Amino acid sequence: MHDHYRLTCEEVFARLDDFLDRELSEEETRRVEEHLAACAACASEHRFETGVLDGVRAKLTRIAVPTSLRAAILRQIAGGTA
Amino acid sequence: MHLLAAAATHSAWLPAAWLAPCMLGAIAVSRPEPGAGGAAEIGALLPPLLDSAYGTALHLTRNATDAEDLVQEAALLACRGFGTFQPGTNFKAWFFRILTNCFYSTYRKKKRGGTQLELDDTPELYLYCQTAAIGLHGQTEDPARLLMERLDAEQIGAAVDALPEEYRVVATLYFLQDFSYQEIAEVLDVPVGTVRSRLHRGRRMLQKALWVIAEERGIIRDLTAADPPPEA
Repeated sequence: MHDHYRLTCEEVFARLDDFLDRELSEEETRRVEEHLAACAACASEHRFETGVLDGVRAKLTRIAVPTSLRAAILRQIAGGTA
Repeated sequence: MHLLAAAATHSAWLPAAWLAPCMLGAIAVSRPEPGAGGAAEIGALLPPLLDSAYGTALHLTRNATDAEDLVQEAALLACRGFGTFQPGTNFKAWFFRILTNCFYSTYRKKKRGGTQLELDDTPELYLYCQTAAIGLHGQTEDPARLLMERLDAEQIGAAVDALPEEYRVVATLYFLQDFSYQEIAEVLDVPVGTVRSRLHRGRRMLQKALWVIAEERGIIRDLTAADPPPEA
């Protein structure tokens, strides 16, 4: 990889999902961040996608397991499985 | 519960793969089924996962009764198969593998309805383009936040539930459990590349589902009204 090579918008777009999921290598992450710092259009798309993912993650219902079910499972564990 | 009796017979035919080690490279260590020591061990590991397991089961089955049965069955199988769990490996991934396998073997066959949306071929940046088209990007510097703040938990859950099953399972494990691609691959016993493609495509579908729901519930109409509500 050349030091002066910069990712194009298309190359960043192709990596955007993996970047959002922190699944890129350190080097690729650094190069995407470098592009986003210099490209307002890509940065805007990245901010939007991050906002949607954060919104979904924050609001997806995390319901507590029903008390009766929790109690039944704890009894299973305490009493063995016979 | 009726499942207790039914599941009590499961360990006899439980496929070994359901209880296979979830962490690659781990060395199998055969251990006895939980006696007093094992019960104490699983008693420490399993209860903290029950809330998230139930939340996941709700999105998989899209039905509260089935979700309860699924969690109870998975818990019983985990107790019975705990001897195959390798200490020091990923118990959460191991348990969710049992849970998803229970779902695939039993509850998916019930074919619950749920919202049916045409989500195929949803383009990239769907919500970004839609919100730009209605002028939302000119109203605020953070249009995603403006939209997402107006969608409540029930509406977002409904959008996830509208995804086709293979995408819904991956999305649920990703959003609710914060599993990595690798962990989801281990839970579902599929290649990491399959997880990546399902997750990326599923997220595009999810954006379309969110948009459809926002339109149906009048959220888009409110956002495009002459005097849009102030940002929260």
